[in-house]
This record gives sequence, structure tokens and C-alpha cells, in this order.
Amino acid sequence: MEMIRMENLCVASEEQEILSKFNVSVAKGDKVLIKGRSGIGKTTLFRLILGFRIPVSGNIYFQGDKIDPGIAWDIRKKVTHISQNSDIGEGLVRNMIEEIFSYKVNKGMLDTNELHLLLSKLSLSKDILDKRFENLSGGEKQRIVIIISMLTKKTIFLLDEVTSSLDRSLKKTVVEMFLNNPSWTVIAISHDTEWERENVRVIDMERIQEDTNVCC
Amino acid sequence: MSAVDITTTGMVFCFLLLIIPIFISYQLKLKLINPTLESSLRMTLQLIFVGFFLTFVFDLNSSLLNMLWVIVMIIVASYTVLRDSELKQGSLIVPLAGSFAFANIGILLYFNNFVIGLTDTLEARYLIPIAGMVIGNSLRANIVAINDFCYQIQRDENRYLSSLSLGAEKYEALKPYMRKSLRNSLKPTIANMATVGIVYLPGMMTGQIIAGSSPLNAVEYQIAIMIAIYVSTVMNVMLGVLILMNKGFDRYGIFKKEMLKDA
Repeated sequence: MEMIRMENLCVASEEQEILSKFNVSVAKGDKVLIKGRSGIGKTTLFRLILGFRIPVSGNIYFQGDKIDPGIAWDIRKKVTHISQNSDIGEGLVRNMIEEIFSYKVNKGMLDTNELHLLLSKLSLSKDILDKRFENLSGGEKQRIVIIISMLTKKTIFLLDEVTSSLDRSLKKTVVEMFLNNPSWTVIAISHDTEWERENVRVIDMERIQEDTNVCC
Repeated sequence: MSAVDITTTGMVFCFLLLIIPIFISYQLKLKLINPTLESSLRMTLQLIFVGFFLTFVFDLNSSLLNMLWVIVMIIVASYTVLRDSELKQGSLIVPLAGSFAFANIGILLYFNNFVIGLTDTLEARYLIPIAGMVIGNSLRANIVAINDFCYQIQRDENRYLSSLSLGAEKYEALKPYMRKSLRNSLKPTIANMATVGIVYLPGMMTGQIIAGSSPLNAVEYQIAIMIAIYVSTVMNVMLGVLILMNKGFDRYGIFKKEMLKDA
């Protein structure tokens, strides 16, 4: 089943073109790694899928439906996105998690046992729940956000540099957590080589952008 | 017993006091001489006009005219909120004036009817000054709330978008911002209630006492008016932020930056 398809996408900022004639198709269970230097438009791809940004031309389909505002709100409920900026909230970690699981779509999803399991898997102690999120280190924030994303029980993941502040062994753990579930559809943006594995399709934005023509 | 009339000589003596700030400004090069003169002049002219106008309105005491004047106050207040906030006029003025009218007129009628117990709810002598106090105070809080909300949503855009991508509805994702801007805008009014009487005597109470009311009578009015101001402020601020939440985002739930003045 095709989850996400992008057709001839063109995106431009005021100063320059970000994407031109970009095409991609991601099927259920696919594992995709998006590479390329900063500023080439990797994050923009995710923003387009989530409806945070509208392309100049071209189409995006989610499970066969062309994106419009209604579909975009639906996608946000079906997809888990982790942005590269892990400043996603403030206050006690515990309260932040509670707030997220008070959203209608996530209500009743919080599984405390699984939360504790994930914490220990990612080398965090339970005490972290009673610390303030804004005082955590970059790596700790990243891990908390990863845990929250896994607790929401979604099956499509858009991961933007989620392993950048982790040490080698944690990078490996996180990559495996995401890649080892065959039913999960995972699109990851990363500079970390840990993501480059046999079953992972690599999209090199630099190579793609070189041979396409200007369109907008 | 009523207040002693200030004579023309008295007024001249009063304006002479302005020599002090002008002298200080001159000595310290504060560059406040012109603004001082300008503001004093504007105040004087505006108040003279209002004095004559209110005399006329009070003498006539027509319910219709009184209500009309309150509505003019509300429109001017809504306009001022938008002027002093980060937002462009345009699409917000109508819903804002509507919500202002709803909250303030509601409180005013309740107040005049049940609290003071007037037989003529729209009597000019009560309606207009009380409307002025209630609207004037909630206006300041509204400016704070709207600016605070716009500032937060831009500064913490990433947090807002994160909430959306975690499945939140627009209202769920905006709730923390709403909470913060309501708290920030209501704090001064709450602090004001707590310090009144000890730190300062409010203008209305002072006025009543000078005009011959007993201090206890003045205090009754002051308590009642402070509560009315607080309640109408809460209502106004909440409606103002709700309007912004409703009108300020596109169908994808993204904040409309083009509504801001410097956009």
C-alpha cells in the first residue's frame, strides 16, 4: 500500500528555490533515509507532508488522498513527526506527557509500563519524569521526544535528525528500534551513518537536485 | 454638600505646577517639554469637550442616547486595542467590537440593575461613568493578552507545530498559549484588587468623597466597581483571545503572519 507520494513538487522561499520537480513514493513498511547537506530542503519535505507548508506546484498524496486542509489534520493524527528542534514544551516531563495524552486522538493511549520500559531501554532513569524538560540536555530531550513518539502508537514516522545528540551506542539502539518493526513506515532525515543499512532506501537530495531543471 | 468649585485663579495655579516638570526636563535635557505641553493641552481640550458633552447628555438623559454613547465608547476601545497591538485592523475589528459589546453591556446592565438597583438602568449619571471605568480597564488587559498571545505563538512556533504533529486539534494545541496570555493579562487587575485602599485610593472613591459621599458609601461603590471591572476584564480578554484563535490561523492551522503589522 502506498503511504506517501510526492509528484513534481516545487517549493521556493523568497530568496531561492528549495525543491524542484521532486518525486518520491513511500509504501507501507518502507524504511527511507533522506540525506544531503543542510539547507537543501530535507526538513521542508516533512513540513509539506504535515501541511505546515504549501508547495508552489506539484501534488502530495497520503494513502491515495491528495493533501488539502482536511487531509492534513488527518495526517497529523496518523503520523508521528519528530522535529530536529527538540524544544517542544516546558515544565515537568511528566506533565508534558500527560498534556500530550490528553489530546482527543491520544486519549487512553498512555501505557505506563511501556513508558518505563522505553526509558530503561534508552538509558534514562524514571527520575527524569520529575525534572523540567527545559533543563534537560539535548540528548535527554531527544530521547524523551522519541519515547513520546513511540507511545502514541502510530505506524508512520517522520524523523528529523532524531539521533544527532546521542552517543554511538544509543544511536544504534534508536535506529534499531525504528527499523526492526516491519509494519512501521519510517522516513528519517539524518547525517548519522547508523541509519545506512541493508533494508534502508537512501534518497540523496544533492544528487536529485543536480539533475533536475528549475521549475518555479 | 458638594465639592468646592475650582475658580479660574485656582486653575491657573494648577497649571503653574507644570513649571516643575518643565524645569526638570530643561535641566536634565529629557526632551519632554514639548510632549508635556502637548499632552496637557490635549487633555484640557478633550476634558472641556467631554465636560460640555456630558452636561448635555446628563440633562437630556435619554436612554437611547446614553446607550449610543456607550456603543461609541466600545467601538473606540476596540479600535484602540487593535491600534496598540501588533495586529492590523481589518478583519478583527467587527468580531472584537461585538465581543466587547456583549461582555461590557452585559456587565453594565447587570450592575445597574442588580447591584446598584437603579429604577432607570440606563440613567446617564451611572451608566456612562461606570461604562468608562469598565471598558477602559478591560481594554488595557486586552492589549496585553493579544500581544502576549501573538508574541508567544511566534516565539514558540516549533512547540505549537509539534503539538499539531502529535495529533492535537488547534484548540488543544493553543490551550497552553491561551492560558499563559490570560494569566499575564489578568495579573495586574488581580494585584490591583489586592492593594486597593492601602497603597492608593482609587479615583472614583476619591471623587465621591470630595463630592460629599460618606467614605463608607464610597467604599461600597468601589468594591462593586472593582468586581465589575475584574469580571468584564476576564470576559473581554477571553473573548479577545478566542477571536484571535479563530481568525488568526489558516485552514491548515498555521498562524497568519500577514495579520501582523510589520509583516
